Amino acid sequence: MTRYILRRLAISFGVLFVGSFLLYIMVINSGDPLEDLRQSTANNRDVLIDGRIETMGLDLPWYERYWGWLTGVAGCFYGACDLGTDRSGTDVLSMLQQSASATLRLVTIATFAAIIIGIIVGILTAIRQYSGFDYVVTFLTFLFFSLPVFWAAVLLKEYGAIRYNDWIADPQISVIQAVIAGVVLGFILQGIMGGHIKRRLFTGGATAVFVIVALLYFTYVGWWRSPALGPVIVILVSAAFAVGLTALITGLGNKRVLYSTLTTVGVGAILYFALQPILAEPNWWLLLGLLVSAVVVGLIVGYFWGGYSRGQAMAMSAVTAVFMAAMTFTDHLVYAWGGFLELKPRPISTIGASTPNFQGDFWETTLDWGTQLLLPSILLTLISVATYSRYTRSSMLETMNQDYVRTARSKGLSERTVITKHAFRNALIPITTIIALDFAALIGGAVITETVFGWKGMGAMFKEGLEHVDPNPVMAFFLVTGTAAVIMNLVADLAYASLDPRIRR
Amino acid sequence: MKIGTMGKGVALFAASTLALAACTSDAGDSDDAMSESPSTEATTEAATGSNDDTIFISVGEDQWDGYNDLTPDTYSTYNSVINERVRQTFVYFDENSGIQVNEEFGNVELISEDPMVVEYTIADDAVWSDGEPIKYEDVLLTWAAQSLMVDDAAMFNHVSGVDYGDRVPEGPQGEPGGKTFTVEYTNPYPDYMLTTVVDFPAHIAAEQGGISLEEMVTAIQAGDTDTLAPVAEFWNTGWLSPTAGELPDPALALSSGPYTYGSWEAGQSLTLVPNENYWGTPPATGNLTFRFAAADTHVQALQNGDLNVIEPQATVDTLDQLEAIGESVTVGTYDTLVWEHLDFNFAEGAAFADSLELREAFAMCVPRQLIVDNLISPIAPEAEVMNARERLPFQEGYEELVSAAYDGRYDEVDIDGAAAKIAESGAETPVQVRLGYNTPNPRRTDVAALIKDSCDQAGFEIVDNGSSEFFSADLGAGDFDVAMFAWSGSGQITSGQNIYGTERPQNYGMYSNETVDAGWDELTATLDPEAQMEQLVVIEGELWDSLFGIPLFAHPGVAAWDSTIQNVIPNPSQSGIVWNAEEWVR
Repeated sequence: MTRYILRRLAISFGVLFVGSFLLYIMVINSGDPLEDLRQSTANNRDVLIDGRIETMGLDLPWYERYWGWLTGVAGCFYGACDLGTDRSGTDVLSMLQQSASATLRLVTIATFAAIIIGIIVGILTAIRQYSGFDYVVTFLTFLFFSLPVFWAAVLLKEYGAIRYNDWIADPQISVIQAVIAGVVLGFILQGIMGGHIKRRLFTGGATAVFVIVALLYFTYVGWWRSPALGPVIVILVSAAFAVGLTALITGLGNKRVLYSTLTTVGVGAILYFALQPILAEPNWWLLLGLLVSAVVVGLIVGYFWGGYSRGQAMAMSAVTAVFMAAMTFTDHLVYAWGGFLELKPRPISTIGASTPNFQGDFWETTLDWGTQLLLPSILLTLISVATYSRYTRSSMLETMNQDYVRTARSKGLSERTVITKHAFRNALIPITTIIALDFAALIGGAVITETVFGWKGMGAMFKEGLEHVDPNPVMAFFLVTGTAAVIMNLVADLAYASLDPRIRR
Repeated sequence: MKIGTMGKGVALFAASTLALAACTSDAGDSDDAMSESPSTEATTEAATGSNDDTIFISVGEDQWDGYNDLTPDTYSTYNSVINERVRQTFVYFDENSGIQVNEEFGNVELISEDPMVVEYTIADDAVWSDGEPIKYEDVLLTWAAQSLMVDDAAMFNHVSGVDYGDRVPEGPQGEPGGKTFTVEYTNPYPDYMLTTVVDFPAHIAAEQGGISLEEMVTAIQAGDTDTLAPVAEFWNTGWLSPTAGELPDPALALSSGPYTYGSWEAGQSLTLVPNENYWGTPPATGNLTFRFAAADTHVQALQNGDLNVIEPQATVDTLDQLEAIGESVTVGTYDTLVWEHLDFNFAEGAAFADSLELREAFAMCVPRQLIVDNLISPIAPEAEVMNARERLPFQEGYEELVSAAYDGRYDEVDIDGAAAKIAESGAETPVQVRLGYNTPNPRRTDVAALIKDSCDQAGFEIVDNGSSEFFSADLGAGDFDVAMFAWSGSGQITSGQNIYGTERPQNYGMYSNETVDAGWDELTATLDPEAQMEQLVVIEGELWDSLFGIPLFAHPGVAAWDSTIQNVIPNPSQSGIVWNAEEWVR
């Protein structure tokens, strides 16, 4: 195995080297780096042109320029990285660090959201194949997939930012709006739940009534501007999650797992109150520590309740604990919303990674980041959800038609067990590859999304470099994305081998 | 497990969630948070007369590059719009791009024409933001940075090279520590108002170069480049910001203007805050935040309040969007210093090179009014056909120049007249004309189509030679008969010499005319505005008669701002709308 990995790495290194050479040559020949200066009437035009020639080394032959870049990069192996400067003298290495961190912030959430939503939607559509729900989702995924990003971003900004901000200044929902929202949501949910007509009517009706009452009630008490969840909701929702998760994975018949997850919620409830003072003004390290300890608590609870299904109990208690931690986090964020609105009366921005010079406490600053991330994340998620859901759907359908699934059904296993235990796991194998490669691609940033939302990420660096015929930023982009692609490819292969025993043979 | 148990559970859960979710957060708490948030900085600002409001503006997605915007690498409008609010000079461009003396900073006076001597006075209370007076030493270093040479190469990496040193070999004359000095030019120099006579704090450069201010003065006066080497080294590198997001040390990057640097978020924004040691009128608004956002995001950002003042791309779409926002936004259209023109190629072998009749025929058939009506008026209803080259329609002296130099002979399209001229020239019809311009540029493609529609009727055959290689290859190589592009004016009086003078660097069409050359020589040798105008009339008249080319129109600009902000005035010069940002107030 080690030999295999080493050989792969050596080949990849060669590929990167040749790629860098080709890209460098293509970039420096892609246009005229002095174009913007040629139209100038300034008296000092010649000095400007000479200065740029000097900075970019335009008077050197191509092989010397490439060699200069290559030796700078070689420095990275002994800690003296030099990726050169761009045409205005800015250090590319520092540019790269900033761009990469912006891109990671922008794309990570969107990618995770897309993976989770995409897989869930894919499975649901596979289970309800050829239903109205399936057709609607298919239509929507294709629509989103072919969405021109620029246009969608303009619409999102109009409705998600400008109109929402106008609305939140004095949030009112009329009865008609509430009824429409309720009916639409009820209709969607009955489509997902499926079943015979009576059940559909009940699901749809109940959802509609709930949504209508909720919207009107929330408006009446002014919840939109000063919302709160409170301990009871956090505990209730977490308990519901614990029951739901158990029902989905092991079935409610497995009392040990059920009690284990519920106990975790109980411990979480005590911690919810105990940690209130610490959480008033935390920091990210503290939160990370608390998350880790939540997992540990879940594992311990699972260990003691587990008995014959100790492994499952531990895993699911840990997941429940993480969910409860997330709920507590959300609770604090929601609570801070009122104060946040005072600081930033128009909460959703159309540009930027953060509000310049924003001064609030930890939760308000986090809300600021969140509101800035919201629109680009929605956009990126919409686009990539399509891929994941289609892949999952087809992979799931293929698995569902396998002989062993029929065998599982015929031996009397419940549909839940068949889907979650036998079909779903195997359906995930091909998706792993796609996810690994997507992670490589996401480092490259999303050029258009970054531009329309005013983020300076990897995509923007690449685009600007290419526009200025400035090879150094482009090559820095290539180094990162190229390396990520190579590594992720390798990871995908290894993951594949560990998931699918047949591959290893 | 029918609707029964499961349904009851879900219903109970839903109802209880609903009831409990209705609890709202405590408003009292958020009020506490509010009272804590105004920073201590804001309260001290209030004492100097600025409010603690923030105005957001964007001039594009390009980042700020550094305090020293006078090196060729960092010399850009994105840099200078910000730095001009931090460092003042003796002059500024007003809203008609006229040059005005900045009286808060000091005074400029031409005290003798022959020899040409300019006297400068720095305001008595003018100080750098560290309290050090702005004085003769700063002026001397500014001159040294544009004059000293080592081994035939400029010692300082200055955008203007050693031009100032060539014109003023003796350097500015004055007393160390003094506020008054004189500059003597060897030859008359009409653009003296634009010479940079003071830029950076000399005491910082001297200190960082490891010498005293007195030593620096002596070394500059003696031309002692060895002593000055570390100073030049600091000048070239010490005021740059190679790492985005790290503001320069406020003890080094001193302010001499209403604002100084407050904070810089890499890739996002740069905020200017009031300079507490500013001697003049303090800025009205406490925080001026420049956001680095792409131009096509500006309109929606303005509508959402993420930006308060914008200068978006001037297109009909942008204008419609802005007007659709309503009264909360004020829209201003104006003419920029960028103007479009058609230039003939006089090089050997080009279609128009030897035939004045053909050039006249072409000028007769170019539908200039139609071009303006169709493509420019929708954005700027007041737009007019431009009939001069050295003055733009909104500038002072344009009417005077046009009425004296141009008789209106090409105002109307005259197809028959053009056809007659072609016949007179003896050229075989159709006369092939390669019209070159830079693509992609939809507006120029439209102009080319309009010209083709009209001129093909007269006996020309216009070949649309638009190419993305136009500037890099075609223009320099003379691979065109008519070139269509824009010059962006710099406000200089003499810059036209480089375009119309024989064998000058920007004379791409190889035009050569003795009257024009003589006119420029006269013009650049006099400091009297009236004499300059006389020569301009001669030059423009000859350029029309011999048909160097055809001016078309000035590019319109669009600006828009939050209607609650007062004193926003668009400005066609390079400083753009930000030129009077210290007066903006809500």
